[in-house]
Amino acid sequence: MRTLIITSFVAAGFWIGTVPAQAHHSMAGFDRKNTVTLTGTIQEFRWENPHSSIEIDVPGKDGKVVTWKIEMTAPAYLVRTGWKRTSIKKGDEATIIGNPLFTGDPGALFVSIKLADGTMLPQPSAGKGQPK
Amino acid sequence: MRTNHFIAVLFAASGLMAQSLAPLNEKGVPVGALAPESIAKTRPKPAFDLTGTWLHGGGPNNPWQFAPPANAKLTAAAQAQFDASKKAAAEGKAYHDDIGQCWPAGLPIIMTRVWPIAMIQKPTVIYMISGFMNSVRIIYLDGRKHTDPDIVIPSFNGESVGHWENETLVVDTTAFVNDHHWIDGGIPASDQLHVVERMKLINNGATLEIEYAMTDPKNWEGEWKWTKRWRRVDDQEITEAACLPDLNGHLPSTGDKTNVR
Repeated sequence: MRTLIITSFVAAGFWIGTVPAQAHHSMAGFDRKNTVTLTGTIQEFRWENPHSSIEIDVPGKDGKVVTWKIEMTAPAYLVRTGWKRTSIKKGDEATIIGNPLFTGDPGALFVSIKLADGTMLPQPSAGKGQPK
Repeated sequence: MRTNHFIAVLFAASGLMAQSLAPLNEKGVPVGALAPESIAKTRPKPAFDLTGTWLHGGGPNNPWQFAPPANAKLTAAAQAQFDASKKAAAEGKAYHDDIGQCWPAGLPIIMTRVWPIAMIQKPTVIYMISGFMNSVRIIYLDGRKHTDPDIVIPSFNGESVGHWENETLVVDTTAFVNDHHWIDGGIPASDQLHVVERMKLINNGATLEIEYAMTDPKNWEGEWKWTKRWRRVDDQEITEAACLPDLNGHLPSTGDKTNVR
């Protein structure tokens, strides 16, 4: 079933701990305290520096399909959590969790993806191995 | 010597030297930092060699931001920018996110991006190549002075010259651009920015620590200071990373609705 769910994670420390820091510029436009769950069909996966990105077509309750743009970190960080250039491709069914834009436009900062075979791929955690 | 100076100016005018005026040899000819005769010149042994790959990495005890101090006094123009940035943040927007529009990050924040920096140290120069947009920073150690302000080409990373003070490398950087350059959200940097870095290795060479002191009379009063740390990451490489014309179209964060420009 293809759905779009908006969930508040204000008190959920798990998501706070996985906020991506590997951004190349300001992420002020994303609501880090909330997530959207987007189930649909992958339209494009760009494996590139400085940001990878996904476009996914998500049908709404009215049946109208909306293309969401998902912003990710750089491939060098994604590979540490199991990502490959071939992890997803156009036509794949998947469920993506992301932090939505404050504007309400169909865009989000990537948090994780669940593939059709059940594989979970997250965004790398921030601040790993920082100097003490 | 006037003849030497004339030759140097002639070289500069001919475009043979891109930015910094290379020191003159005994014949009055400019000698670049990588020229064999410059590298071979006898110099005191440096306190350390930064050659390697380094990562700032962020974290609560080592923030990547160069946030203004609590008692900061901004100029009226800078205060207006800072207030506008806070208003934008409250509205869930980025303020003048020039990096997101492919402007170079520039010093100092190029140093604390969450991307590794490859550092290559020679006796006469240090090259710092960030994995972020492959920004190149050059620190001259060959004894040259800052280029004449009437000749120097302003840049986002500025012109850096360094010298050794015992176990510390002191780097002085000037000649910055006057626009699209920020040291933190809503805190602009101008062509009057002056950055002094005191670099040293700690933790048996595993950590690079840099004390920053910055002035910019166009934007704030007095000197602001921070201390940042980088860890050596021998398991990482820098890669090509360019801001491409079609990149922003695929990124939700760089659109007009999410940015105040």
